[in-house]
Amino acid sequence: MATLEELKARKTDIGPPPVEKFLHSIIKENYGKWRYHEILKSGVLAHTAESGAVIYTVRAASPRLISTDFIRYICDLAEKYCDGYLRFTSRNNVEFLLANKDNIEPLIGELENNGIPVGGTGRSISNIVHTQGWVHCHSAATDASGLVKVVMDELIDHFKNEDLPAKLRIAVACCLNMCGAVHCSDIAILGLHRTVPKIDNERLPKICEIPSTVASCPNAAIRPTFIDGKKSVKIDEDRCMYCGNCYTVCPAMPIADPLNDGVSIWVGGKVANTRQGPSFTKLAIPFLPNNPPRWPEVTSAIKNIVEVYARNGKKYERMAEWIDRIGWTKFFSLTGIQFTKYHIDDFKHAGLSYRRTTQMRS
Amino acid sequence: MSETPLLDELEKGQWPSFVSEIKKSAKKNKKAEGLLGQLELSYKEKKTHWKHGGIVGVRGYGGGVIGRFSDVGEEFPGAAHFHTIRVNQTAGFFYTAEALRKICDIWDRHGSGLTNLHGSTGDLVLLGADTDSLEDIFCELSKEGWDLGGSGGGVRTPSCCVGPARCEFSCYDTLALNQDITMTYQDELHRPSFAYKWKFKFSGCPNDCVAAIARSDFAVIGTWRDDIQIDQDAAAEYVQNGLDIQTDLLAKCPTRCIEWDGSLRINNPDCTKCMHCINVMPKALRPGKDKGACILMGAKAPIVQGALLASVIVPFIRLQPPYDEIKGIIKKIWEFWDENGVARERIGECIQRVGLGNFLEAIGVEISPQVVTQPRDNPYIFYEEYYEEEGGEG
Amino acid sequence: MPNFEFGGKSYDVDEEGYLQNPEDWNKEMAEEIAKTEGVEMTEKHWEVVNFLKDYYKEYQIAPMIKILIKEMAKMFGPEKGNNKYLYELYPSGPAKQACKIAGLPKPTGCV
Ligand code: SF4
Ligand code: SF4
Ligand code: SF4
Ligand code: SF4
Repeated sequence: MATLEELKARKTDIGPPPVEKFLHSIIKENYGKWRYHEILKSGVLAHTAESGAVIYTVRAASPRLISTDFIRYICDLAEKYCDGYLRFTSRNNVEFLLANKDNIEPLIGELENNGIPVGGTGRSISNIVHTQGWVHCHSAATDASGLVKVVMDELIDHFKNEDLPAKLRIAVACCLNMCGAVHCSDIAILGLHRTVPKIDNERLPKICEIPSTVASCPNAAIRPTFIDGKKSVKIDEDRCMYCGNCYTVCPAMPIADPLNDGVSIWVGGKVANTRQGPSFTKLAIPFLPNNPPRWPEVTSAIKNIVEVYARNGKKYERMAEWIDRIGWTKFFSLTGIQFTKYHIDDFKHAGLSYRRTTQMRS
Repeated sequence: MSETPLLDELEKGQWPSFVSEIKKSAKKNKKAEGLLGQLELSYKEKKTHWKHGGIVGVRGYGGGVIGRFSDVGEEFPGAAHFHTIRVNQTAGFFYTAEALRKICDIWDRHGSGLTNLHGSTGDLVLLGADTDSLEDIFCELSKEGWDLGGSGGGVRTPSCCVGPARCEFSCYDTLALNQDITMTYQDELHRPSFAYKWKFKFSGCPNDCVAAIARSDFAVIGTWRDDIQIDQDAAAEYVQNGLDIQTDLLAKCPTRCIEWDGSLRINNPDCTKCMHCINVMPKALRPGKDKGACILMGAKAPIVQGALLASVIVPFIRLQPPYDEIKGIIKKIWEFWDENGVARERIGECIQRVGLGNFLEAIGVEISPQVVTQPRDNPYIFYEEYYEEEGGEG
Repeated sequence: MPNFEFGGKSYDVDEEGYLQNPEDWNKEMAEEIAKTEGVEMTEKHWEVVNFLKDYYKEYQIAPMIKILIKEMAKMFGPEKGNNKYLYELYPSGPAKQACKIAGLPKPTGCV
C-alpha cells in the first residue's frame, strides 16, 4: 500500500492530459480546417479538410460496461488499422480513426467476426445512453444494461442500416434521478417505483437529518413526527408520487419494491436545436412490468413504436416532429397504445399541456 | 464460479453483451466474480443489492470516488466493496491504444477489471475497487498523467463534443475551452463546496452532440451571427444527385428563409441558425464566419422540482483564449449562487426561484429580448421603482 | 454490522466507520476515530468539529460546506474560512472526515 510519504508526494490537481498527444497527425494538421463530411456507408464517415486530406471513421458498438479485455482488443485493432488512434462518442460508441481507406473493410470484417456491429451513423439508431441499474446503483428500480441489451438485440438492424426517417436516440434510466439525458430522447425507457417508501423508524433518527428529509420532498408529503417518543418522519401517502428523492437524502427510507417497480416508456424528446428545437419526452406507456432477464413487454412495445414511426415518418422527421405533424391522438391510434388518465399531467405546470382551443384533429 | 442462468440469457442475441464482459473479468478476478453473483441475485429478486451510496475517497480530494457497498457482501465477498473511481477523460474522448492499455494495467492490478467508457457525465469510470486500494490506484494513475473527475456538490467533470478536431461545423474550439475550464477550476472540481452539483458541457454548434442544453448547468453551444456560407456548385450537385430540395430542405427550414431557383438564396436575418440546411448539404453550406457561442443555463433532470432545459443567458459571446470574458461571467454566477443557493437546488431551479430578470441583473449581463420567447403575459409584476409624493418624508 | 472498539467497549458503526448511535459519542472517542482517518486532533481541528456539533444541535442538520466556510471565516477570520485550510486539517474533505469525527450522520445526497 502507498505510504503517507508517497501520498504527500503525489501530485494533485494535474487535470486530464492535454488532448494533443492523443490526436492522429492528420487531425492535428487539419484541426479546425475541416471542409465537409460524407457518410460512405452506414457506420463509416469520411471527413475532408480544406487541404484535401481525409480522415475516415468507423463507428462500432460497445456495451459500455466493458472489461479490460475488451479495451485491449479494441486497442489491438486501433494499432493494426489506425496507427493506434481511437475515440469514443458521447453515446458510448467506439470510433476508429483511419488514415488509410483500404483498412476500412478489413477492420469492419474483424469487428463483425468478433460480434461488434458497425453502424449508428446518420438516420439510424445509435447506441443507447444509459445508467447503472442493478449493476451498480442503490436507487435502481430496474436494470439498465439488461434493458439496453435486449432492446438493441431487437433493433440491431436499425443500428446497422440507415433505414429510418431520421436519427433515433434512445436512452435508459433506472430511476427518476435520470443519470442520462432520457428526458430529451426520441424514446426514453425509465425505471420507476410505484409505492411509498418504507420508513425504518429505528434507524431513521440515528442516521438521517430530519429537516433535510422533510425538505427533500417535492410534494411536501413528509412531516416530522414522534414514534414511541423518538423523532422520525411520516409520509402523507396521498401526496407521495414515489420519486425516491427522500431516499436519496435518508437511507432509512428505502423505496425499492420488487413487486411494483417497473418501467415506463416516453417518446418525442430531442436535444438538437435543428428545426423545431429541443423538447422533453412525453409519456407513451405509464407502466410495464420488470420482467428480467429479457423484458419481453418492453422490447415489443419499443419495437412497435419504432416500426410505426419507420413506416409513417417522413424523411428528416424526428419522432417529435412526426408526432407533431400527425397529432397525439393519431400517435396513440397508430401504435395501439392505450391513452389513460396517467397520461394527463397533474404536477406543477400541468395546465400547460391541456388543450385550450377547439382546434384538433378528429 | 456461480451459476447464472438468468444472466446467461443476456449473452444471446447480436448486440455485444455486458454479461459476457463481466464473465471475462470474473474468470480472473474475484471482484468481478462477486459482481456476477450479486447481479444474478438482483435479476432473480428484481431488486438492487447495493447499499446507499458511500463516501470513501482519497487524500487531498473531496470527490472523484463514489463508495459502493453490497448488502450481500458475505455471500459475494468480491462485491462487498465495489467503489467507483471517476477518471477525468480526455477532451473529446480521444485516446491512444498505448494510453488506454496503461490504464487497463493499473486497473487489472488493483480493481475488478470492469469499466464504463464512459459514464453519463463523461468520466472514464473504473467500476469496483476496494477501499484499501484507492490510494494506490490514484497514485499510479497520477504517475501516468491522469487525474480524478468530480462528484458531489461541486464542479463535475466537464465534457465537450469532438469539435474542430473532426467536425466542420464547430464554431469555436470546444476541446481547448473544455481543457481550459477544467484546469482553471480544479479546486472546485476536486473539493466540492457548492450547494449542489454543477455541470459544464461544450458543444461546437447547435446540433449539440453532448446534449449540453438538456444536461448541463452551464452549456456553451457554438453559433454564428453573419451569413451562412454557400457553395452554389456543391448545392447544385446535391440536387442533381437526387435531393428533394423542396421537401427535404426548403419546407423544413423553421423560418422558411431559404429559396431555390437553380441557386440557393438565404434571407439570413430570418435564419435562426438551426443547422438543418447545413446538416442536409454539408458540402454546400457552412456556418458563417462571425463565430462564437450562446451560453445557456439551468438544465437538469426531474429531481427535485421537475426537469428543465437550459435557457439562454448570453445570446452570443466570442470565445478566444484566455477566455477572460466567460470566466468573468462564471465568477459572477458563482458569487450569486453562493449568496442565494440552497441545499440540493440546482442553479436552474435557483434562477427560477429568484427570477431570470433578477438573476441577469445580479450577474451584470445585458437583459435582451433574446433570453425569452415572449414577454410575460401575467401582470403580477414586482415593481422596484415608484414615485414618492413630493414633500413627503422621502 | 461492523464495530468500533474503544475503551474496552464496542460500538456500532457502518462500513465506513460512521457511528450508528449518536449518543455513543464522546470527546475521547472522537480522538480515536480521528486516528483511523490519519488525523491527529489539535485545537484547530476541534474548532471545526465543535462548530459542526453546535450547528447540528441547533438545526439538526450538518451545514453545507459553503456555510461551514463562511461561518469559520466569521468566527476565526478569513485565513480559516476557506477550502484549502479545511483540507489541510482534514485531507479527505471536511464533509467526510469532520462529520465522522463529530459523530454526525453520514452525509448523503447526490453523488
Ligand atoms: S438513474 Fe437512478 S438508479 Fe439509475 S444510476 Fe442514476 S441514480 Fe442510480
Ligand atoms: S418518494 Fe418523493 S414524493 Fe414520496 S415521500 Fe419521498 S420525496 Fe416525497
Ligand atoms: S455539436 Fe456540432 S460541432 Fe460538435 S460534433 Fe456535433 S455537429 Fe460537430
Ligand atoms: S440554418 Fe435553419 S433557419 Fe437557417 S436557413 Fe438553414 S434551415 Fe433555415
